[in-house]
Amino acid sequence: MSHQSELIAEDINEYLAQHEHKSLLRFITCGSVDDGKSTLIGRLLFESKMLFEDQLAAVEADSRKWGTQGEDMDFALLVDGLAAEREQGITIDVAYRFFSTDRRKFIVADTPGHEQYTRNMVTGASTADAAILMVDARRGILTQTKRHSYLAALIGIRHVVVAINKMDLMDYSEKTFNRIVEDYRVFAKQIGLENITFIPLSALKGDNIITPSERMPWYRGTTLMGYLETVEVDDELMQASPFRMPVQWVNRPNLDFRGFSGQIASGVLRPGDKVRALPSGKESHIDRIYTHDGDLDQAVAGQSVTLTLTDEIDISRGDLISQASEPASVANQFEVTVVWMNDDPMLPGRTYLMKCGTKTVSATLTDIKYQVNVNTLEHTAAKKLELNAIGVCTINLDQNIAFDPYEENHDTGSFILIDRLTYNTMGAGMIHFSLRRSQNITVQHVDVNKQARQELKNQKPCVLWLTGLSGAGKSTIANLVEKKLYARGSHTYLLDGDNVRHGLNKDLGFTDADRVENIRRVAEVAKLMVDAGLIVITAFISPFRSERDMARSLLDANEFVEVYVDTPLEVAEQRDVKGLYRKARKGELKNFTGIDSPYEPPENPECVLNTTEMSAEEAADRVIAFMVDRGYLV
Amino acid sequence: MSGKRLTAERINELRKEAVRLRLEKKTLKEISDITGLTRPTISDAYKKFLGGGWAAVENRARGAPKGTKVERAGAKNAPLASGGSNKANSVGGGRSPLPYPTPDRDPELWSLEQVEEWLESQGVSVSGRSVARYLERWGLAVSDSPGRAELEAILSHQGIDPGKRALLSGSVRTFSGEQAGESSHGHQLYAQDGRGRLFWVTQRSPFKADDIAAFLEQLAGRFPDAILIFKSPSLENHKVLAPWLNGERALQLVTTPHWQSHDSDSLSFTPDRAASEPAATFKRNPMALTHLQRLEAESIQIMREVVAETENPVMLYSIGKDSAVMLHLAMKAFSPSIPPFPLLHVDTTWKFQEMYKFRKRMADETGMKLLVHVNEEGRAQGINPFTHGSAIHTDIMKTEALKQALDKYGFDAAFGGARRDEEKSRAKERIFSFRTAQHRWDPKNQRPEIWKLFNARKHRGESIRVFPLSNWTELDIWQYIHLEQIPIVPLYYSAERPVVERDGTLIMVDDDRMPLNPGEVPMMKKVRFRTLGCYPLTGAVESEADTLPDIIQEMLLTKTSERQGRMIDHDSSASMEKKKQEGYF
Repeated sequence: MSHQSELIAEDINEYLAQHEHKSLLRFITCGSVDDGKSTLIGRLLFESKMLFEDQLAAVEADSRKWGTQGEDMDFALLVDGLAAEREQGITIDVAYRFFSTDRRKFIVADTPGHEQYTRNMVTGASTADAAILMVDARRGILTQTKRHSYLAALIGIRHVVVAINKMDLMDYSEKTFNRIVEDYRVFAKQIGLENITFIPLSALKGDNIITPSERMPWYRGTTLMGYLETVEVDDELMQASPFRMPVQWVNRPNLDFRGFSGQIASGVLRPGDKVRALPSGKESHIDRIYTHDGDLDQAVAGQSVTLTLTDEIDISRGDLISQASEPASVANQFEVTVVWMNDDPMLPGRTYLMKCGTKTVSATLTDIKYQVNVNTLEHTAAKKLELNAIGVCTINLDQNIAFDPYEENHDTGSFILIDRLTYNTMGAGMIHFSLRRSQNITVQHVDVNKQARQELKNQKPCVLWLTGLSGAGKSTIANLVEKKLYARGSHTYLLDGDNVRHGLNKDLGFTDADRVENIRRVAEVAKLMVDAGLIVITAFISPFRSERDMARSLLDANEFVEVYVDTPLEVAEQRDVKGLYRKARKGELKNFTGIDSPYEPPENPECVLNTTEMSAEEAADRVIAFMVDRGYLV
Repeated sequence: MSGKRLTAERINELRKEAVRLRLEKKTLKEISDITGLTRPTISDAYKKFLGGGWAAVENRARGAPKGTKVERAGAKNAPLASGGSNKANSVGGGRSPLPYPTPDRDPELWSLEQVEEWLESQGVSVSGRSVARYLERWGLAVSDSPGRAELEAILSHQGIDPGKRALLSGSVRTFSGEQAGESSHGHQLYAQDGRGRLFWVTQRSPFKADDIAAFLEQLAGRFPDAILIFKSPSLENHKVLAPWLNGERALQLVTTPHWQSHDSDSLSFTPDRAASEPAATFKRNPMALTHLQRLEAESIQIMREVVAETENPVMLYSIGKDSAVMLHLAMKAFSPSIPPFPLLHVDTTWKFQEMYKFRKRMADETGMKLLVHVNEEGRAQGINPFTHGSAIHTDIMKTEALKQALDKYGFDAAFGGARRDEEKSRAKERIFSFRTAQHRWDPKNQRPEIWKLFNARKHRGESIRVFPLSNWTELDIWQYIHLEQIPIVPLYYSAERPVVERDGTLIMVDDDRMPLNPGEVPMMKKVRFRTLGCYPLTGAVESEADTLPDIIQEMLLTKTSERQGRMIDHDSSASMEKKKQEGYF
């Protein structure tokens, strides 16, 4: 690398010309502190001369003070320095470092920490072209090596280097190297990891990092830097795939220009190419590939461009423009792998926002087929996914999206799940395939529909969703409301714990996961009954906002009336009609709402009934008045 | 080595010997002396060895023979004649504004004769020499003129036989000069013939492919059978230029990244037999994106996501070089629309005068709305860096002012130009940084960023700071400015400026608000700024670097980190983290 500074001094223009044509490689390093990962990154930074003298001087001083390497420079000190932040409680997912040679610029994702390892490594690996798996030559393949390898395979990193480090401590033995290579190959086969390169090295002594090691003449392969400088970048690989571009933004400066802006996920595009917009399926041809610097004759994967089409077809943000001859698929139900990244566990039945490409839809994970133990790779049954858990699940969307299997296209096959209330990013997912059901089941067209049924009954069907603490008076009020509606000639049905828990939901208990499923089924039944033209009254604690929102999302606008039966906990506990609070306080009842399970009050209920201010009779009248007021009753 | 012809076998032997010497840790100079190979050749051989072992060192045979390498020292940056400018001033001073540079005025091709004619039409009688002085004053004189030998070397490297055709050199440059007492900036597209005659057009905005095509059309009128060797990145992607590049027009266009032929084996011993050996181990995909192209695409993707997913975004514009790049990327991201957000400059009122001028110029050129916010309370209290110190000044006039501005306009997303390479502790920063309604940064409430799937959802009142340049390094920024010819504040270029020395730091006396110590006289020094902030807080460095390549060269060789000149960071060592929690970038 040393010629660089000579060239800079002698001919800066030549240097700039060389460096303007560099490519970019993103890679991740996996391994724990003991494997010498920091030393390796520090060495790469040092060798590429991307360090300033004041930084180097500081490290040299630190090496003498803190270093573990005697007289030698402790390269690890170049990249550590996040310790203080860790102490302050700042979460460090991934740290990014930069260095470059005259052939490539490198972005290194470094993932510190053990506890959050899965989340962090998945984050760092998601944008990486290659991975360096660190193995300590003294210890060979360990559980954590297997874990890192599994995650690399899961995220679909296409190029993996197994860096067998600390060869200096094993006398640069070829036998040691060969044994580790053998062991690893057997394991790699199990997890389907391909394209593996093995390099024996010493990050500390610099063997096989930049220059071929004289101490390991038996090794004839590439050096680590040689590998990094030549390994293929994903964007280039993706040029060979069919064209895909998720539309980020519709560019409409005036009536004459209508462009679709986005970053090309795969393929090569030229004006005149026939494309199909998904999920609509409408087709057109590329008119121009517009850029600020002038139109392009072709554009390739990785470029951010703006396309115009020859026909005026309706395309908006979230749509996928794809090659007409090999379009992406469209579906609303998939088998996926989910990596959970939040302290709040993933509960089947709960609805999340799913962002896939540039499209955001509502999604429900219906069942967890199995969870993968990252250490043993065993498949185990699971009722929920905790932080850092990896599970294979079925996911249902509220509408069709365009996609490719993740294996074929990372950009169009990946998604994140967002909590509907906190808006936090909860998990990351990869689409395996669409489930046949969603492709074959089309919505059955029926002649007698909701409209017809409600006209016959001469009423406007809806769900009155009563929520509140146990003992708040939900069932009492619901019962009175139904009586009053019946008296007015309305067709109604009351769903409450008694007629649901004993039949439809008798397989469910009271854990958070079961509560979520309980409410999901009730919501689905209520939806069918509304479709049948009934006014449905439900009386369930339904403690979680997200489940009530899910129920709301199943119904059309104005069909869901959230009624908050507002009774303070002390009052409800004092009433304790069924004696449940007493039992819960004694610890005989687990997961009791208000005691050891949370109740999330509604934020914007349509109707609030304060039971400390009115009797049950008055409350029921209030509901009827509300329904008249809003036009549900005449 | 000149004149000697070596066989391919002999060259490969030499290349291998060079690698052996390199492994023995000999310097490039020593190896060059021993083997007679040039340094790029040695580097190339060595790199091939690292990438693919001894077999890769062998070179395949090359195409056409090369002339001896042309010395270019003489051609480089011939200093502008400086003595004549006074006279030119006296001729032009006080008259009606000159047409130059009045960019966008006229698409016609200008030459010295035409300037002369025009001056005469204005009643100014001039000879050829003083016309040249006008050009210098206007900033339009071109000093970069390669000789015919250099041009031929470039052509032969690209396998083009010029025959008897005339050879023109040309390029695009930015100019800044002075016209009737006003400073004037713009872009100049020019060509020069073998006798040094200059032809050009100017405009304020950067030239696009269409403009170049129009220019070629006009130039072809004068030079029907010529080759224009054009210093620029490849123009192959531009359809409109294809006929010129493909030689379908009488005037042929050839691009070169720089004037010197940079074939790594440009020694006389290159064999002249046709290439028949297999290609080298590493073959670069011609359609692959460069690192700058990928960084550009990533930043644009981020900006578009923010615009699509937030309600009221804004771009924080600090007038510095990172802001310049960010603004340039925004123009690209939303073109042909104007970026759908305003620029916000949080003005401490202590910026350099040239920064204020530049700010206005950029707002005019981009057509974007520019909001300027000053903490009026702070101004009323007379907060300034001299009496209150940099910490208090920054806190009140910058941090507080930024929060005020964001609240005032109700912005829910703000683009900032911070990069991860600026400091070791920034390495872990996310691209989207979430802030509470009180603008606090909550370290526990930040989101993982996976693939390109940014989650920009937030509750009412909360906001996001977005850093689209996160993955750029300082070198990337400078290279991109160089490659894209992005205008930057002239303070980055070295010039004679009045400075005083304070605690070992050179502070520019930018206006009369700067209190001088008794008897203190500012001195004129050739200085420039590596980073721009409030002038009393920003140290200048002595430098001769007055072109972009020189600046980059200086940056790469100086090797002290960038923020060293910024006094704000000296105040307390772990200051960045604290400042961020408080809402400063």
